[in-house]
Amino acid sequence: MTAFTPTIPATSVSSWTGPVDAPTTQERMLDQFLKGVERRALRMAELATMNRDEALDLVQDAMFGFVRHYAAKPAQEWAPLFYRVLDSRLNDWHRRRTVRSRWLAVFTRTPEDEETDEIAQAPDLADPGPLLRLAGTEAARDIDAALSRLPLRQRQAFLLRVWEGLDVADTASAMRCSEGSVKTHLSRAMASLRRALEDHA
Amino acid sequence: MSTPSRPDDRDAAWVAQARSALDESARSLDAATLSRLNQARHAALAQRKSPPRWLLPAGLVSASVLLLAVFTWHGYRPDVGSAEFPLSAKSASSSDIDLVSSDDGPEFYQDLEFYAWLDAQDADQDLGS
Repeated sequence: MTAFTPTIPATSVSSWTGPVDAPTTQERMLDQFLKGVERRALRMAELATMNRDEALDLVQDAMFGFVRHYAAKPAQEWAPLFYRVLDSRLNDWHRRRTVRSRWLAVFTRTPEDEETDEIAQAPDLADPGPLLRLAGTEAARDIDAALSRLPLRQRQAFLLRVWEGLDVADTASAMRCSEGSVKTHLSRAMASLRRALEDHA
Repeated sequence: MSTPSRPDDRDAAWVAQARSALDESARSLDAATLSRLNQARHAALAQRKSPPRWLLPAGLVSASVLLLAVFTWHGYRPDVGSAEFPLSAKSASSSDIDLVSSDDGPEFYQDLEFYAWLDAQDADQDLGS
């Protein structure tokens, strides 16, 4: 696990703020911590939702939940606890979307019955996708696509273990499952990604 | 230098590439997204300074229950005439006003018992005569 080591900036509190509004040491540590994980959290949420606005909402919910419930915990425990909250939000989002899809499937016509709207189905040329936007490489696009195709639990296991660098125990804590389940999810994720990405390496 | 032959070695290559691509994607988020993340972070931290939302309703309910309990325990009965002075207070108040407005000096009131005895004697003499 990449231990979070808060670096508190030696900023002096402006005189106009006064002692009442001055951020405490813990608030500064929380700010630094959230600043350190927010981008990766957003990318995780974006890979799950494939929608930036929804991903931002989920990350904001996760920040609120984390600060409300776990801010008083020791800083060393913050990373797995934050990802536990985010993982919970992602699971809720996935569950809601599944239920909504089932209801929509019942009450809406099948695609074969509908007239094809060529304009609606055309790709948005102004938004080439998060990874293409930054790297512009075929490999980055394939990585993005391969990760998006993974089941939620496998993707979370891969991202938390390989990208975020949590150890097995912390990943299990974040995903609220056993360490054996983490290993299983990770193994399957690695196998899927290996097939999809090995050619690029 | 050996070529990557074991699965772990082969994994290391694409895993490193995937990690690098993910890092790059997180680094180069656009300004609007970063601004929204910043706002979200500040909003999350600001909630620590405000009291919990449930505190005000809970306080109001507790105060209402306490007030109801006090009135029930003491048998609250609104008394319209309670605004008037009690009898003793009213008497005391009247005698005080008489005392202040009287022309008699303070010596008269100091010997009030003597004058009361004198009146009693006069009354006995009147009855005897």
